[in-house]
Amino acid sequence: MEIVSVLKEKFGYDSFRTGQREIIEDVLNGFDCVAMLPTGGGKSLCYQLPGYVLEGSVLIISPLVSLMEDQVQQLRNFGEKRVIALNSFLPHAEKQEVLRRLAHYRFIYASPEILQSPSLLSALQTVPISLFVVDEAHCISQWGHDFRPDFLKLGRLRKQLGSPPCLALTATATREVIDDIVATLELTNVKKHLYSIDRPNIALCVEHVATLEEKIERLIHIVDAVKKPGIVYVSSRQWAEKLAECLRERGHRTAFYHGGMEAEQRLLIQQQFVYDQLDVICCTNAFGMGVNKPNVRFVIHFHLPAQPEAYWQEVGRAGRDGKESIAILLYAPGDEQIAKTMIEAEFPSLEQIVYAIQSIKHGNEHIGLTEVQERLIFYWLEQIEEADSIEAIAKQMHAHVEKRRRMKEAKLSFMLRWMMEERCRRQALLAYFHESLPHRHERCCDRCSLELAVYEEKNERMSSIPLKAWQEELRRMFLAKVGKR
Amino acid sequence: MPSYLAKVVLFCLSRLNGERSLAAIYHLLNGKKSAQTLQDSKWYHLDFLFGTLAVQKSEILHIANRLEHERLIERIDNDTYKVTEKGEAALAQFSFPAYLNGLRYVNETEAFWRRLSLLVQTISNLVHETTFEPIQRDEETLLFVKRWLLSRRNAAALAQSLYEELHRLLSRLDEKEANVFVWRLTSYERIGLTNEQVALVLQEDPAYTQLLFQHVLHFFLKTTEKESHRFPLLFSLRADLYETIPLTSSTKKTYELLQQGRTLDEIARIRRLKRSTIEDHIVEIAANIPHFSIAPFLSEEKRQQIMRVAEKLRTKKLRMIKEALEDVSYFQIRLALAKRGDGDGDR
Ligand SMILES: [Zn+2]
Repeated sequence: MEIVSVLKEKFGYDSFRTGQREIIEDVLNGFDCVAMLPTGGGKSLCYQLPGYVLEGSVLIISPLVSLMEDQVQQLRNFGEKRVIALNSFLPHAEKQEVLRRLAHYRFIYASPEILQSPSLLSALQTVPISLFVVDEAHCISQWGHDFRPDFLKLGRLRKQLGSPPCLALTATATREVIDDIVATLELTNVKKHLYSIDRPNIALCVEHVATLEEKIERLIHIVDAVKKPGIVYVSSRQWAEKLAECLRERGHRTAFYHGGMEAEQRLLIQQQFVYDQLDVICCTNAFGMGVNKPNVRFVIHFHLPAQPEAYWQEVGRAGRDGKESIAILLYAPGDEQIAKTMIEAEFPSLEQIVYAIQSIKHGNEHIGLTEVQERLIFYWLEQIEEADSIEAIAKQMHAHVEKRRRMKEAKLSFMLRWMMEERCRRQALLAYFHESLPHRHERCCDRCSLELAVYEEKNERMSSIPLKAWQEELRRMFLAKVGKR
Repeated sequence: MPSYLAKVVLFCLSRLNGERSLAAIYHLLNGKKSAQTLQDSKWYHLDFLFGTLAVQKSEILHIANRLEHERLIERIDNDTYKVTEKGEAALAQFSFPAYLNGLRYVNETEAFWRRLSLLVQTISNLVHETTFEPIQRDEETLLFVKRWLLSRRNAAALAQSLYEELHRLLSRLDEKEANVFVWRLTSYERIGLTNEQVALVLQEDPAYTQLLFQHVLHFFLKTTEKESHRFPLLFSLRADLYETIPLTSSTKKTYELLQQGRTLDEIARIRRLKRSTIEDHIVEIAANIPHFSIAPFLSEEKRQQIMRVAEKLRTKKLRMIKEALEDVSYFQIRLALAKRGDGDGDR
């Protein structure tokens, strides 16, 4: 079938967006592909459409359970029934049933962690996999080495599944990260589709304030004035809660969102935001991936993001509908210290590593490291030759650690330089991703030309339907309005 | 004035009588299904709180520090506290929502709520002919509700019946309790509120609204069980959850073997487990299954002896009881105490 008619029939679209056709054609021709499209550029279609053309199942590896669930839901909205998300929350009996019928599914979503399960692996080996998709593939590099060692095992996994063609998708990656992706996934015969990650409708702005108190005041002032809805990113759970309270006291419809909340509560907040019951979300970086909300008008960073990749991804959650939006980074002297401390806390010292290895060798459960560090140590222990002495192993590990630490510090100092940048911020950021800016946008950044007034709200606020007592709420839920009948 | 959660902790400490550490409270409230926690919850009549509040360890530590600072409790050992007279006085007016029964419904509450909330959302949207994204996402719940709806036709009639059942049930509760439940439901035109948001609207402590919400669910579970004919739709949402017994999986296997008439030693041999492990299982079973008879392991006469000593010494510390009696094993003492945990418990 012609792919344009599949596009129309299955997804209801008349035409492809930038890059989609080229990527899909290469995928259908069996090439390994790395595709970089801007956030909101329709990445998922690049494997969803081939799912209807290729024989067999498409396996999609996704870094976050919530992201996976969002995408499964999206496919179901298109009417697809043969889609499943494999995650550790699946009850045992259901899981057995799913594994038995695995080949029946057109789309199989899985987290890298769950793919370590031998029973799942052997079930997958009986399934003809037509396409091996790694979503948010920058996790292999940006987070992979630090947070998700299981991502690094995906190359081996692909081999174990008979090396099906691979599609790695990302929205933010430097050339080094792209190389990392190609190397880790052991891609051969690879076609790179790297499109501009610029988002012309999002203006960039950095504001310097003198103190933390002033920053909070400034935040409230901005949120009061600008068009909503919007997202405020902070560095910790406590700050998410604190700022949500500040803004609520100002009369804003707001809530906090962070990884410490139960899954059900998180989903409620996310959906309240998507369905315009909330105007402002105060959140950590746990919020955003997979959230499909086109009309986000602003993204404010209350703390300095430690990496340009993370910054750009978070900024990219604004203006998916193509309308004017703004990203504001608030900076107070000393903010870089928070980011530095977080980097420090991420990496174990040589002494900690030696102690940890000794503990592991003695079968001790408590090895005195954070969970993240622990996963790293176990990953490296698998990689390093067993014959070496503990000290030698620890030294090797520490060399890895130092390399990653220096890389992270370099990213942070880029952010610091960027904040002080005298010339166009967009140009500087795109340059980091090895892109140039061929022509200036009308509303670009605070260094070019920017009037905050453009983004201000003139009209009255939206309000939700008022919450009534239970009897009336129950009637509203179940009994159709008379006029409708 | 301690927060509601602090009072819950204080209440637990009072019941634990200085015999268990803070970790026991943490495991109890979070509903850890270990033999130890299951037994403790019965022994100290705290089973109604089992698994009703998700709290962090650090939160409990913080609360204990505050309580100690206010001289409501005093430290008797690392992480072990006793409630002072002042503390007991602070608890005088304190009570819990009446239907709260955590351990009894531990295997049903969560699943029942997920199914009900997804069903309400689905039917509400069907009636209004709107599309929606499910607010519950685990496959088991999605599958259950899908099958449930497939076996019943006519959305409008279903909506009417479900409305009537919910209305009838909620009418038996007071206004606040019914609101706490209904406001958390997601429906046509409204995504449900989180517990924190409900607490804000009511100007109540979130720990309190969370317990109130659990209390409503337990009331639902209890009433639909007793009057299943009056609430056929709601009952059908939990009918398959009903039989589950709150035992750890390894204990369940031992329980099955006991029901086949195997002896303790036989079971140890068959399962290649230590005798003491099987003993742990039997204590867990005795604590959780009311009709389970401990007669094969402990004569009635001995059981009464143990209970008398426990009463007299006002303790549940095994060593003290054992020293006061002759010819009684730790296993038998634990059995006797576990069995005593039956009944409704005084709050
Ligand atoms: Zn510019």
